[in-house]
Amino acid sequence: MKILIVDDERDVEDLFRQKLRKEIRSGQLELVFAFSGNEALEVLGSENPPQVVYVFSDINMPGMSGLEMLEIVKSRFPQIQVSMISAYGDTENYNKAMKSGAKGFFTKPVDFDSLKKEIAALQGEG
Amino acid sequence: MIFINLISLFLLFYLKKNPGPTPLPEEIQKLFKWGMITAGVLIALGISNLPPQILYELISFVLVGAIIYLILNTPELEVQKNMAITPLPILGVQLLKYVVKTISVSTYENIENYLDAAGFFALIWAVTMWLNHRKQMKEIEIERIISKEQERQLRATAEQKNQLEVLVAERTSEILQQKEELQEALNHLKDTQEQLIQQEKLASLGQLTAGIAHEIKNPLNFVNNFSELSVDFIEEIEDEMTKIADCPEKENILELLEDVKSNLGKIRHHGSRADSIVKSMLLHSRGGTGTKEPTDLNGLIREYANLAFHGMRANPNPINVDIQLKLEEQLAKINLNSEDFSRVILNLVKNAFDAMREKIVKEGGEYKAKVEIRTQDLGDKVLIEVEDNGPGVPDDIRDKLLMPFFTTKKGTEGTGLGLSITHDIIQSHEGTLEIESKVGEFTRFSIVLPKSNP
Repeated sequence: MKILIVDDERDVEDLFRQKLRKEIRSGQLELVFAFSGNEALEVLGSENPPQVVYVFSDINMPGMSGLEMLEIVKSRFPQIQVSMISAYGDTENYNKAMKSGAKGFFTKPVDFDSLKKEIAALQGEG
Repeated sequence: MIFINLISLFLLFYLKKNPGPTPLPEEIQKLFKWGMITAGVLIALGISNLPPQILYELISFVLVGAIIYLILNTPELEVQKNMAITPLPILGVQLLKYVVKTISVSTYENIENYLDAAGFFALIWAVTMWLNHRKQMKEIEIERIISKEQERQLRATAEQKNQLEVLVAERTSEILQQKEELQEALNHLKDTQEQLIQQEKLASLGQLTAGIAHEIKNPLNFVNNFSELSVDFIEEIEDEMTKIADCPEKENILELLEDVKSNLGKIRHHGSRADSIVKSMLLHSRGGTGTKEPTDLNGLIREYANLAFHGMRANPNPINVDIQLKLEEQLAKINLNSEDFSRVILNLVKNAFDAMREKIVKEGGEYKAKVEIRTQDLGDKVLIEVEDNGPGVPDDIRDKLLMPFFTTKKGTEGTGLGLSITHDIIQSHEGTLEIESKVGEFTRFSIVLPKSNP
């Protein structure tokens, strides 16, 4: 299963790769990273149909915000699930994300246990 | 000679009618009466021609002389002196006539014409004098009236002055009272201004700290996440190492790995400390985002006082505390953000525990730690008091208690944000927080909340 993670912080890649090391090694998961909203849309558009089934995206990013990206992804690739990750656990962002069709809403620091559960559930569905 | 008596009668009559500015004494009036009667009798006798002429004339002279003497020697008749002088020439002429006639009738007949002429002139002089005197008397009377009027005016002015003085005194006291009221209002304004400035400072500081907190939060998350991961990895490495044959190098590697793990643990520990500070700081900026619902305040206090107590007992350095709840039963539900407000109770009670712990350490066994939590219905408001019998708060730091990052707790025990957040939460409930304390005796936090804050 291919997952795309979008965050302007480059160390996020190391963190996710290390946290999900076992799942990646076992071939359960394949992680792709993008460091801006535009880059994420490029990644998704480079394959037809996109292999990515799940996108985790930060909200506060320079340029296109995570919420803007969410809307575009949902309109172009409705089959892809998107969850938001935000440092601000405020209700305003939460409501916006949910209204735009986000599947989940995680607050930083990301609780990887619940993230793994989320992925496992998705795999179960698949 | 009847003429002289007429003069006497006239004098007495006139003086009786116009006594002048001062009323005449009783005796003088009596004398006047008798004088008038005598004059009247003498006139009657004169007409009847009964008594011997010489005697009659002598008596007449004596009477008029007595009257003139009386006028001149009575102080009350001072102003009438002229009246005594007026008839003098007439009397003089009459006396001369009388004397000459008595001594030699022939001589009298020789000079009778002259004497008559003198009498005539004397009469004119007397009339003139009398008219003059009347005029003077009238002037005196007018003067008297004027002075009386002036006196009246003076009295009226004095009275007016008194009235004005009373009025001025009244106004002065009114103004003084107003001044005091104004002074009070001014003091109140100054207090409010100081509070506003303080709150403004707190608010801007709150915004600043929230901004900083956000910026710090992300890198801090990395520190915490990577240190945690590295501990996991080292444990994994240690697992793998058991599969390698023992040798001195392996021992050294394991030792070093143990140190690295311990260091990572420290990084993780201090990272989470920083994280809890950052979280507290972020609570500052959150103000008023939560929803308020009618809440059973007494229930909330019971629950969180209990929680604070058990939390304290479960942590290092527990103390024995007597917690007394004096809650006003039948307190109507109050509009609260119960999640936020529970922090207020927790913070205040925890602070009390920490303060009393210090006192226990200092004073030892004699001291019995006690926290009292009270609620009281104030009509449209409700009062919540948290009072401990701990060491108290010195005056010089009382103002700083609510400042973010101000703490009296040593080392890593406090973030310095507890009371600052407490204050913020109370403010977002439109309430007030007051601190009263006496060093060595008590500290009392009093919260006043409106029952229906929006």
